[in-house]
Amino acid sequence: MLDWLWVIPALPLAGFVLLVGLRGLPRPVIALIGVGSVGASAALALLAAVRYLSAAGPVVPIRQVLWTWLPLTSFHPTIGLHLDPLSLLMMVVVTFVAFWIHLYSTGYMACDGGYGRFFAYMNLFVGAMLVLVLADNLLLLYLGWEGVGLCSYLLIGFWYTDPANGRAAMKAFIVTRVGDAALAVGLLLLYWHFGTLDIQSIALQAPHVWVSGSGLAIAAAALLLGGAVGKSAQLPLQTWLPDAMAGPTPVSALIHAATMVTAGVYLIARMNAIFELALPVGQVVAVIGAVTLLLAACSALTQTDIKRILAYSTISQIGYMFLALGVGAYSAAMFHFMTHAFFKSLLFLAAGAIILGMHHEQNIFKMGGLWRRMPLTFVTFLAGALSLAALPFVTAGFYSKDLILYETLASQRGSPVLWACGLVGAVLTALYTFRLVFVVFFGPARREPQRGGSARGTAALGCGSFQAQKPEPPAPTHISWTMTLPLVVLAVFAIVAGAVELPKNVYQVTLLSDWLGVVLPAAPQREHLPSLAKVQIIAGAASLAGIVAAWLLYRRFPSAVRVLRLVRPWRQVYRLWQGGWGFDWLYRRLVVEPFVYLARANRRDFIDLFYGAIGESAKLLHAVLSWGQTGKVGWYAACLVIGAIVLITILVLT
Amino acid sequence: MMTRDLLALGPMLITAGGAVVLLLALAVCRSHAFASAWSVLVLAAALAAIPMTWPGAPASGDLLNLLAIDSWALAFWGIIFGSALVVCLLGFEYFRPLAVQAEEFYVLVLLSATGAAVLAAADHFATVFLGLELLSVSLFALAAYRRDQAISIEAGIKYLVLAGTSSALLLFGLALLYFHTASLRLSGLAGPLLAGHPDTIALYAGIALVLVAMGFKLGLAPMHVWTPDVYQGSPAPVSALVGSVSKAGAMAFMVRLAGVTLTGTPGVRNGVFYGLLVLAIASMFTGNLLALRQPNIKRLLAYSSIAHMGYCLLAVLPMAAGAALDRQAVFYYMLAHAVSILGAFGCVCAASENGREAQHVEDYRGLAWRRPVLAGVFSLMLLSLAGIPLTAGFLGKFYVLASGVRNALWLPAVCLVINSGIGLFYYLRVLGTLYQREEAESPDQFATSTAPSALLQPSPQLLLTHLTLAALVVLLIYFGLMPALASLPM
Amino acid sequence: MALALAAEGPIWPLGVYFVLVVVLAAGILAFSYVLGQRHRQQATDVPYESGMTPTGGARLRFPVDFYLVAMFFVIFDLESVFLFVWAVAVRELGWAGYVEVLIFMAVLLAALAYLWRSGALDWRASGSKPAPDKERGQ
Repeated sequence: MLDWLWVIPALPLAGFVLLVGLRGLPRPVIALIGVGSVGASAALALLAAVRYLSAAGPVVPIRQVLWTWLPLTSFHPTIGLHLDPLSLLMMVVVTFVAFWIHLYSTGYMACDGGYGRFFAYMNLFVGAMLVLVLADNLLLLYLGWEGVGLCSYLLIGFWYTDPANGRAAMKAFIVTRVGDAALAVGLLLLYWHFGTLDIQSIALQAPHVWVSGSGLAIAAAALLLGGAVGKSAQLPLQTWLPDAMAGPTPVSALIHAATMVTAGVYLIARMNAIFELALPVGQVVAVIGAVTLLLAACSALTQTDIKRILAYSTISQIGYMFLALGVGAYSAAMFHFMTHAFFKSLLFLAAGAIILGMHHEQNIFKMGGLWRRMPLTFVTFLAGALSLAALPFVTAGFYSKDLILYETLASQRGSPVLWACGLVGAVLTALYTFRLVFVVFFGPARREPQRGGSARGTAALGCGSFQAQKPEPPAPTHISWTMTLPLVVLAVFAIVAGAVELPKNVYQVTLLSDWLGVVLPAAPQREHLPSLAKVQIIAGAASLAGIVAAWLLYRRFPSAVRVLRLVRPWRQVYRLWQGGWGFDWLYRRLVVEPFVYLARANRRDFIDLFYGAIGESAKLLHAVLSWGQTGKVGWYAACLVIGAIVLITILVLT
Repeated sequence: MMTRDLLALGPMLITAGGAVVLLLALAVCRSHAFASAWSVLVLAAALAAIPMTWPGAPASGDLLNLLAIDSWALAFWGIIFGSALVVCLLGFEYFRPLAVQAEEFYVLVLLSATGAAVLAAADHFATVFLGLELLSVSLFALAAYRRDQAISIEAGIKYLVLAGTSSALLLFGLALLYFHTASLRLSGLAGPLLAGHPDTIALYAGIALVLVAMGFKLGLAPMHVWTPDVYQGSPAPVSALVGSVSKAGAMAFMVRLAGVTLTGTPGVRNGVFYGLLVLAIASMFTGNLLALRQPNIKRLLAYSSIAHMGYCLLAVLPMAAGAALDRQAVFYYMLAHAVSILGAFGCVCAASENGREAQHVEDYRGLAWRRPVLAGVFSLMLLSLAGIPLTAGFLGKFYVLASGVRNALWLPAVCLVINSGIGLFYYLRVLGTLYQREEAESPDQFATSTAPSALLQPSPQLLLTHLTLAALVVLLIYFGLMPALASLPM
Repeated sequence: MALALAAEGPIWPLGVYFVLVVVLAAGILAFSYVLGQRHRQQATDVPYESGMTPTGGARLRFPVDFYLVAMFFVIFDLESVFLFVWAVAVRELGWAGYVEVLIFMAVLLAALAYLWRSGALDWRASGSKPAPDKERGQ
């Protein structure tokens, strides 16, 4: 069954190889390879899902070992794929969202000079992400993990002519590397104790090898958590994600919203056997999630750049997923991952359409009244925004977020405090989301879309010959079908995707938790369960309250905000939030500056002298030995005799 | 009995017969294309005959005790005939534009492959000498094949004189061994070594002299001095042949010899062990240090192969344990080295034109901007030689290192690691040169027809060379990813 | 055997012997340096010290054909050696030996045919030989 599973990650990778190997292809061919490979991969993933889920009998994981790399006696790193409901969900969502984003990119990047390069990197990303998701062992997972990190770096710095983009890319790479280092140490620890990196056998052995709550289990879980925190931009390694918005918007949608940043969530869910043995770490995960979602939501409230708002929102939403993971509600986290992938990529793509329409203007306060000029973008953006704000009973976001909030109360590991954090976060989410909607789409048009376009706009939009044919950049309304179709499709999914898992009191649909229940344990429930309806009403009221507050503040009484911003303590808070709670400042003081100082102070250190001496002595020895290469046959024959004498001496005397 | 022996000898008979037939054909009518096609055909047939023979004759007794056609020999025949095949493919387009009679080249390649095959299967001192001489005599002529160039003749003469010297030492060594054991069988050595005979000076001196001769062929320090001159002077396909076929044959015999002589008193390391240890460490350092600042690509590859043979000896050292894993490590290393060195010299062939070889590192400056695919292939080959993962060279080095670590040979293992670091320097130096832009060249004008760049223009006449290189790249990656051949029973 | 015996005895006589050899050699050299006569005349540094200066180089060039013929002699002479060996044991070796010798002869004949066709047996003054090589004229 499903022998062709390997084709799914292989297709985007083949697309990458083709796009890199064949330079100078015409744009339609590039688009065909780039989109086609991911599209075929998505189709196959869907087919695999249908085949897998329609198979008779109990759901059994499929393991496909392609080959064994380095067959040694004690270490068998296999190149193998593992398909179970968890990886199936990830695979389907990743390929599905990636396909629409690729399609969108053909329109978005149409005028860009690095068209082929863009699709090559994007295909590599999808391939690496699928390797990460489908890996049957942690080594291969790590390969995919680093692969997506590399693609993230390459794509954040895609417009490398601007040094700021390069710096953002490096920041993302270095900050996540802190987490990756922890993950690598974690893998070594696991290998040390289990003698294997195979995920399934670790999960099987873990309860026998480690006692629940033992120090080693906690250490392993904490190290894995370190990797997850870095990749998923959670506290304290969240600082790179807002800067990562320097990349093209489809990149933000695919990598920095829908897929890569949720790899940390996937890692924790995948390694749940370890985390189940380390409950204190689970508590930490929940606290990290709760704090991160609040901090990021506050920051999102004060940003003016549309993409940065969405970036902070992503951090906040992944905070929800971490909260769910922390309280043991793994399938709730995966549910929120799925709905979030739909609505957040939709929001980014719609934001991309707005940015393109505004000629690369990203400040929301220079937009306004766009709903008339971009009705389709408005409708789809609204769908995404409603889902993000979790409008009760209509949107997918409501069902997933409600499930998380409910589980936070219902789980033994949850607590009312965590729940309250989530609830406040829900209010804030609705508030900043609709702040965005009201400012961008309503109110007076603050600025007409420019005709000429800024310098940055031309750099990104037009390039040489392409611009010569089209002297005017596309007007806001002229957006090709390749960009609108993904918006519509994703909007539909942002609304209806919640139907796979409904609250029990609404309708008995628990498809997702049934599937995922095979691999993910359910959260241990409290004895006295809170009333489902009550929790739902409170959560719904919270999101509605946020929307109403946004309407009051940014639509009805806009002057109130301006006044508020002038009040003394609030102004400082505003600046603090806008700067992302000063983490960048803190890290600069705590890490960057001491490190740079040390590097300066240590510029001519004696350790370098040691390595320099090795080099110099190698050079010297090279000179000595070269002197022996005289080219004279007599000397060469003498060398033979010397060899004979040396060997005879050694052999006879020992 | 007879038919089974013939079947076991099949691959070797095919190459030997093919050489004679080719010689006769040349007497009737000369044709470069025919000679090339015939030799390729013969070698392909020999390669195809190997699986039919697998896993070799059960006992060597039927072949007059002369040859041991076991799975070890057959595996190395695979390397030898495959490498010779690649050399023939590279040679066709290399010699075509030259004003040299090229037909005999193929006869000599077939003969040298036969010689190396005999050496790889040798179980008797007579066949050792026969195989070695057949290989060497063919190589003298091949090294001096470009008679229009003084340096090629110089390479041939040097090789002739030095190989003659080494053969003399070998004969002396064999005579000493015969004097001591009264047997010409290789396995006859094991008894006296085990018996703890009081007077073993002649025995050990004989073994030492055989080691010198094999060390000469493998280019182990301090018998390495000839390698750079011969590699540099020989035509590039011949350098590839010396680097692959000759080394594979000698290494196959070296392992056989080590397998017999290292099994002295169990648990006690005898002089042969320390001799090989010194050879291994000296070769690693000598090869890598000499290559450090070498500006000539062919000499650099020669030095690199000295170091590589030193690395490979690390897996020969524990041969006393007789573990199949160590033999597999040696086999895989030689396989990976053959693919990489053939590819590297293939790139030299492809970069050369009109009879002038692109030997100097400077000839390759900016190759990536003129012929990106060729530069990519060359980079891959260099990376494989440097032992970077995902290439065959990495796995080869990995197995050898694993073999050393498993047998607690810490000193040579550490030396290997240090030397991999030193080695990286000069491979990366060449790699960097490939990707540097030429100073006098503006980025938009790639196709300037000035001296060095005109040399490296892509040419349609090199189709076969390019196809061969493509096949080698596929093999390199395949062996780097799927080490299925490493688990052949040996 | 001698070495084995030596290994059993004391090692110091060898050292004494070594020292004596060195002393003797050094002594002879030193005495001849001190006692020997010296003269410095016109023809001292000339070969043979006789005043007759040699003409021409010591290296003479022979036609390469001499070497070729010598080599052919060696190669084809071996043929007869093997044939003699085979002839002695012809009955014991039987038909299998006969076939092997036939193969051996066939290979040699092939080599002969090749040499003949490629002009190696043409005994003419070099230069008037038909050029087998394209570059021979250079």
